[in-house]
Amino acid sequence: MVEPSSNANANFNISIKTKLDNFTLNIDRHFNDQGITGIFGHSGSGKSTLLRIIAGLEIKVQGEITFNKQVLFSSHSNIFIPTEQRNIGLVFQNSRLFPHLSVHQNLVFAQQRCKYSTLDINDIISLTGLSSLLAKKPAQLSGGEQQRVGLARAILAEPQLLLLDEPLSALDKHSKAQMLILITKVQQSLQIPMFYVSHSLAELQQVANNILILANGEVVDYGDIHQVIHRLNNTESKPLISPQTSLAVPIIAHDKEHALTQLALSEKQSIYLPLLTENTDENNDKEAYPPGALLRCFIFANDISITLNEPSDSSIVNHLSGTINAINKYGNHSILLTIHCAEQEFFAQISVMSYKKLALELGKNIFIQFKASAIKTLAAFPLKNASFIEE
Amino acid sequence: MIATNDDLLALITTLKMAALSTVILLLIGTPLAWWLAKMQSRAKVIIEAIVALPIILPPTVLGFYLLIAFSPQSAFGQIWQQLTDSQLAFSFSAIVLGSVLYSLPFVVQPLQRAFEQLGDSYLEAAAILGAKPLDRFFSIVLPITKASFITAASLGFAHTVGEFGIVLMIGGNIPDETRVLSIALFDHVEAFNYTQAHLLAGGLLLASFILLSLVYLLNHHNNNTSAVGKNYG
Repeated sequence: MVEPSSNANANFNISIKTKLDNFTLNIDRHFNDQGITGIFGHSGSGKSTLLRIIAGLEIKVQGEITFNKQVLFSSHSNIFIPTEQRNIGLVFQNSRLFPHLSVHQNLVFAQQRCKYSTLDINDIISLTGLSSLLAKKPAQLSGGEQQRVGLARAILAEPQLLLLDEPLSALDKHSKAQMLILITKVQQSLQIPMFYVSHSLAELQQVANNILILANGEVVDYGDIHQVIHRLNNTESKPLISPQTSLAVPIIAHDKEHALTQLALSEKQSIYLPLLTENTDENNDKEAYPPGALLRCFIFANDISITLNEPSDSSIVNHLSGTINAINKYGNHSILLTIHCAEQEFFAQISVMSYKKLALELGKNIFIQFKASAIKTLAAFPLKNASFIEE
Repeated sequence: MIATNDDLLALITTLKMAALSTVILLLIGTPLAWWLAKMQSRAKVIIEAIVALPIILPPTVLGFYLLIAFSPQSAFGQIWQQLTDSQLAFSFSAIVLGSVLYSLPFVVQPLQRAFEQLGDSYLEAAAILGAKPLDRFFSIVLPITKASFITAASLGFAHTVGEFGIVLMIGGNIPDETRVLSIALFDHVEAFNYTQAHLLAGGLLLASFILLSLVYLLNHHNNNTSAVGKNYG
């Protein structure tokens, strides 16, 4: 699977051990990431603090961070590069636009302070769709508009790394989807490496290439987004996420008559979800979901059910044949099955009763089925090289 | 009713004193207010109390200690004399210094409140965009808290114009040097010169009323339109 590509890397050495109010943030890791790296954790996991430490907004920190071979701070050697000299951007949760300046003046503020400005401010204004808002004051903007200005402003400082701290948490569902599409578009066209913090796994599932999982200040897992989500499904002790199947699959076609969008799971097998173009705004739909574009989507494990024979008289649209790969207890009364089908791992959560009734065992061939509406997605991204569609 | 030359001279001395004090107050008060707004230490309440003292202290108490500090016998008075070749007590400089101390809370408190209300969020955003500390102050803090600066300057100015006790203690009553309007008024009353007294008292009353009205008008306007106080994070 080809993911959004980027030339610029975020080459990081983060080694922090610092006591916060409720826990110790303890991270010792090397990153060499392209594109968007997600940082996931529940509130109080230390993820926002980590961003603030990288940006230089937290002062009392023990440890060391180097970024692209430059030491940003080191408590041993008493080095602390001030925030304004780090050239690291940050998009805040509440945009923090300067209230006394217009949208345009907010953007100019950033560009004027950028040492080697190469971007054309008008390009960024049209990229982020701000042309009609330039004269307005921040207080006159909607939440979604404010975040777009915040993103544009951060880009115009031309940071070598862009941090995003819960950039969607204050937005409604529609603005969330728009902003996610915009963040990916910006990432692809400007190739700025990004670290994206969120407590919403769904958000990160949509945009991140790699993901870092934090819990109580400690790293739980780190790696490819889909692989990490699938690994977390089987965390038995204290589940961090709802078990789910994470997919990135190309769009084949939009079936307007039946109001379904067809996705290619493999060369032979398709799955269907409710028509995507109806969910987006009219100006954007063609651009956002062209056939061939890779769609990030996920299916919760309790939305997938199992049958032993191929269902022929079911109203459920999606059914695929597969083999049981793993069987794990999930909680007291359910079983989490890992099913290999169409070169993908699927996760199905069923009751212990059904498990016994169907006499399921490892290696058994079964069928999984799920409704079109069980496939969840927030945004889709145009991508040229979804190879087996083009041929 | 025509003001006497003496009264005009007192008016000019008063305005000079108040204007100079206000400038000094803003230069000292701004960093002091900033420091207090950002201070985490427990010593903060002590410093706040010291700054606020002139609000409740009888001006003569402050005036008495300043008189001792400014006298040629004191170390401070001697240093001043060596540096400037003139005596500090009963001079124009003395009443300006006294006014600065006397009016300090009226400048520091509104600024400190404004800085506390402003918080760090915009400053962090500006730093992220590459703005250095002074740049942040002049391009973010000053324009957003402009109304509080106008309030602070107006209150500092008005309070300085209205002072009496300290000026009398450390300035005396020297025409064209330390004789200010409030003292001229006192002289007129002592001399049963009520016409002149009415002119000065009425003038001061009216001027103070207009100035305060303007300050409140500005604050009201500011509360309705400015983004400060609304939560932008």
